[in-house]
Amino acid sequence: MNHDERHDRFMERLERGEKIEATDWMPDEYRRLLLKLIHMHAVSEIMGAFPEKEWVPKAPTLKRKLAIMAKVQDEMGHGQLLLRVAEDLAAPLGKTREDLIDDLIEGRVKFHNVFHMGSPTWADAGVIGWLVDGAAIINQAALLDTSYGPYARVLKRICAEESFHMQHGENIILALAGGTKEQKRMLQEAVNRWWEPLIFFFGPVEVTPAAQRMIDYKIRTKTNEELRQQFFNKYIPRIRSLGLTIPDPDLRCDEKEGKWIFTEPDWKKFGEIVRFNRGPKSQERIGLRRFAHEEQRWVREALVRSREKQPV
Amino acid sequence: MREKGVEKLEGCEIRTEYEVFEVFVQKTQADPHIHVGSVVAPSPDMALVTARENFLRREQAVNIWIVPRDEVHATPYDDPDWFAREFDRKYREVGGYSENGRLWKRYRERAMHLEDIVRDLNGTPAGNSGKRDGGKGS
Repeated sequence: MNHDERHDRFMERLERGEKIEATDWMPDEYRRLLLKLIHMHAVSEIMGAFPEKEWVPKAPTLKRKLAIMAKVQDEMGHGQLLLRVAEDLAAPLGKTREDLIDDLIEGRVKFHNVFHMGSPTWADAGVIGWLVDGAAIINQAALLDTSYGPYARVLKRICAEESFHMQHGENIILALAGGTKEQKRMLQEAVNRWWEPLIFFFGPVEVTPAAQRMIDYKIRTKTNEELRQQFFNKYIPRIRSLGLTIPDPDLRCDEKEGKWIFTEPDWKKFGEIVRFNRGPKSQERIGLRRFAHEEQRWVREALVRSREKQPV
Repeated sequence: MREKGVEKLEGCEIRTEYEVFEVFVQKTQADPHIHVGSVVAPSPDMALVTARENFLRREQAVNIWIVPRDEVHATPYDDPDWFAREFDRKYREVGGYSENGRLWKRYRERAMHLEDIVRDLNGTPAGNSGKRDGGKGS
């Protein structure tokens, strides 16, 4: 079978709604698009733990501390599950887990813009759970019917846990929204900080060639803008119901077109933050990740060597 | 697929690559072990710990198996003949005998199902059957 025939047969499988497995033949382009997406997803989960872990020692009550610790643990767990999926895709390209992590600490793989930002107050911890996780769930739920089986299976588990994150975040912000004047002000300021990064999070309005290829390959089925509009539909009424103001004076719903009109974020600024790790917290957090990876290298080596010495 | 795990980088640094283990979780002793995913680990012991941390942060379980991926032998996905169903296999299934209900009606009885038996054994208050058993069915 020549390459074109294989490719046709592969596309027919996708058309029939079949899932692709790690051991199946797949076009190189499909593998690379998937790897890029899942690698970024994986390292974003890991880097997503950082803005929140900063609040573990400072959480206001023991219950809040336990809950946010559980969340940080989940994010790392999701990172591990996703790295497993990425690793199997990367293996034929000669890349390993170490390489995937090296890519992160050397700045060769991007992670989501939201995790480059600071989380200066407890309200930020709440808003991350409420709105950032809310946005992430919309993204991830839209990927549940992805054509790549191993990714679909891992996403199912991740989405189940993300729904806890959503409740957790809502619980924090509901407490603040019903609290003192000072707490309400803190919440409003956090929403002000997160709104623009959240709009950027969903990506460019136009369908880029790479995004179109992902849709062709049924890796994803929805466009960035469809997902962003979903987010608006779900969250704008809720944000407003709490008496909070959304920091976009031009935000309105176009009833005729059935969509939200919004002020576009500073694409260039956030693009550079993500591409060059130039956000307010990028270097600090990557530095922590690098420290963990390098300082614990001897442990990983020792574990591997100790097994080599045992009769297996 | 098993990684040897050690290679030289920049002359002196030693790199570590872990082995892939498939993970199977048993929720209760009345359940079979079910495949939930995989982990990488330097040893079976560490694979068990990592599996617990990755897959059982909330769910309860009584047992975990981890199996080196190399030891898993599987059927191919791209050979549909492996799972071919040349014949109608209704005769093997409960659904293949749905006419029993109609046939029993002639005798003023109903078809019996496993669920009824289990329910009655467990002493769950019977619904229709209870009423009928004490009445016209006898």
